[in-house]
Amino acid sequence: MQYKSQAVAKPYFIAAIGLFVGQILFGLILGLQYVIGDFLFPAIPFNVARMVHTNLLIVWLLFGFMGGAYYMIPEESETELFSPKLALAMFWIFLVAGALTIVGYLTVPYAALAEMTGNNLIETMGREFLEQPLPTKLGIVVVALAFLFNITMTVLKGKKTSISLVLLIGLWGLAVFFLFSFYNPVNVVLDKFFWWWTVHLWVEGVWELILGSFLAFVLIKTTGVDREVIEKWLYVIVTLTLITGIIGTGHHYFWIGTPEYWQWWGSIFSALEPIPFFAMTVFAFNMVNRRRREHPNKAAVLWALGTGVMAFLGAGVWGFLHTLAPVNYYTHGTQITAAHGHMAFYGAYAMVNLMMISYAMPLLRGRAANSNKSQVLEMWAFWLMTVAMVFITLFLTAAGILQVWLQRASDAPLPFMVAQDKIALFYWMREWAGVFFLIGLVIYIVSFFVGGEEKQAV
Amino acid sequence: MSGAFTKSMARNIFYGGTVFFFLLFLALSFDTHSQLPKRDMRANITPQIAEGKKLWEVNNCIGCHTLMGEGAYFAPELGNVVARYGDEGTKAFIQSRPKEGIPGRRSMPQFNFTNEQLDAIVAFLKHVNSINDANWPPNDQG
Amino acid sequence: MNSIAAEPAVTARRLPGDLAIWFFILAEMLAFAVFFAAYAFARASHVEEFNQYQQTLDLNAGALNTVLLITGSWFVALAVQAAHRDEQADISRNLLLGWLCGAGFLVVKCFEYAGKFGAGITLSTNTFYMFYISLTFFHFMHVILGMVILTVLWKQSRKGVYGRYDANGLESGAAYWHMVDLLWIVLFPLVYVMR
Repeated sequence: MQYKSQAVAKPYFIAAIGLFVGQILFGLILGLQYVIGDFLFPAIPFNVARMVHTNLLIVWLLFGFMGGAYYMIPEESETELFSPKLALAMFWIFLVAGALTIVGYLTVPYAALAEMTGNNLIETMGREFLEQPLPTKLGIVVVALAFLFNITMTVLKGKKTSISLVLLIGLWGLAVFFLFSFYNPVNVVLDKFFWWWTVHLWVEGVWELILGSFLAFVLIKTTGVDREVIEKWLYVIVTLTLITGIIGTGHHYFWIGTPEYWQWWGSIFSALEPIPFFAMTVFAFNMVNRRRREHPNKAAVLWALGTGVMAFLGAGVWGFLHTLAPVNYYTHGTQITAAHGHMAFYGAYAMVNLMMISYAMPLLRGRAANSNKSQVLEMWAFWLMTVAMVFITLFLTAAGILQVWLQRASDAPLPFMVAQDKIALFYWMREWAGVFFLIGLVIYIVSFFVGGEEKQAV
Repeated sequence: MSGAFTKSMARNIFYGGTVFFFLLFLALSFDTHSQLPKRDMRANITPQIAEGKKLWEVNNCIGCHTLMGEGAYFAPELGNVVARYGDEGTKAFIQSRPKEGIPGRRSMPQFNFTNEQLDAIVAFLKHVNSINDANWPPNDQG
Repeated sequence: MNSIAAEPAVTARRLPGDLAIWFFILAEMLAFAVFFAAYAFARASHVEEFNQYQQTLDLNAGALNTVLLITGSWFVALAVQAAHRDEQADISRNLLLGWLCGAGFLVVKCFEYAGKFGAGITLSTNTFYMFYISLTFFHFMHVILGMVILTVLWKQSRKGVYGRYDANGLESGAAYWHMVDLLWIVLFPLVYVMR
């Protein structure tokens, strides 16, 4: 750690991991509800558990992004953070707001929560992933603006590198596109149309800039490859991302009442979306192969390579599988979507955050890298979680293919629940894969507390 | 064959390419907005339908169901539920959910809707069913 | 593009322009290639419709535009050659002429669009017009982008930035402009002529 103020990243990382654990626990509850329908009913119905699962995901990723930015930006800008106090204050505000929201979900019926949090003023609740009550949404805006102010001021007073520039564009884009979550017209087609401006333009747009800049930063630090080389490849990759991803939004406009030309535009551009992910994988492996130093933090390098591969598989390959309109006509809104969602989010965003944490946490704790023992454990956690996620994806894909066949494509289509009962075996296997994921996560956390001989930070 | 590969060129292309494709996206979105009134049946939206959409939202129906294929995949598609069950059938289903669920089965909560609320929900779902969504879903099972 | 490669002054085999622009060009051409393939795919199942509505397109306007773009490419290629000979005034003049050809293309295209849009044709009219408008408009925007690039090159050339030892920016922009031309040379026969 070169700058004192980088230390504010630490609570963000700890909170991120804590919320990640919560996300996985609720994931297991959901998985069980898929096969034991009345599990925890009516105390925690499926919709509540799912809301907690997805909202925790979003919040922990945001914590990770913020922590990563607070760690990275002072080092890139070669100056102390503009205001560490503001960063710390925002941490507590965000954590408390997030915790209160989750408690609200779990203790109050959703309709009552909407009533008491002023949903009648601006109706924004009850849409997938954007279920947060109005005060939480406003809180996210305030925290994001304060965070952006802090980061932008730091960059402005220090050195402006390409990596910080790409990160800033990504983060500002994140804030700007979140504003569409406040727009909820009565016309359900318009509602859905702009809902995607937040959801798609986040995950297949600006978030990828954040991903790219984090990856580039860690690769520079761990491989010692010339910054110039890494930064120009970063530009090439994020360009590819946006030229395919922006129009790629069209793959969500096939069946929601939007004109039919989106079937062509969406199919064509989203067919190209795997390219930037592939480029990212090649980039990560290339840089590591051309490394000019052996960084003691092997685990961080493993996460960096892992995120490249898994993002390509999850977002690229599994995205492409069902993105062409004639295919999507049958697969839209089935377990295939769920399979893609799981691997893409894990591969692209969970793993890039874990990579950043893996690289930065030892430095924040005053060492160049964790002890060998600790790293071995972390790498076990990497493989367990990643392989478990591959299996979760495969089982959900199998379930999805059967679901499509039974419910949509066969001559005598079965009702939804009849089809679900027939594919229960795959849901059971998915649940077991989920248990292995949890074991991996527990090992990951244990790795933070394993001692051994550590290299001192220079 | 070795040409230059400069960072400033890569950066300019990043800016130019992004602005270009974003403008193209805006142009397509603009066209979409001129076409939507023919497809989204906005002229038919009544206060009752608006009330139904609100009920749909504040009870987080999307947390289990899909609507035009978007949402959670735990429970059936509802964009065409009125075609599957009919108005009365849909209402009867919502009304008859046991408070404590069905042992061992996926259970829908009992929301204790009034008759007016049930009518509003069904009006909303009928409206969604009337939207021209390119013949999705493939069949009535959703 | 050949005009540069065949240029005798360049002895060593060298990629003209910046590698970064070539990635962009490849990505763009790939997008168009997929679009063209989609056109072929859609046409295969709507042959009648495609043949019928193709006849409503203005071949003369399309042919004129082809000439304009090829001429524009020629001027831009001349600008690059002028840079290799360090003839500053020639660079700017040829860029300007190339730009004017682009502007001519836009004007002709606007007249063509005015006729079509005036007749109430939109992206949603039928599959053929969907492709016609999508492909030509997508290309139209590329012409505009190419002209923005030419404008920047022209401004830079007036400052005397380009010459024998620094033609990277100019060559990159020129390569992009040639791509815009090349795409039209595929698009025009495909959409306007081929039955």
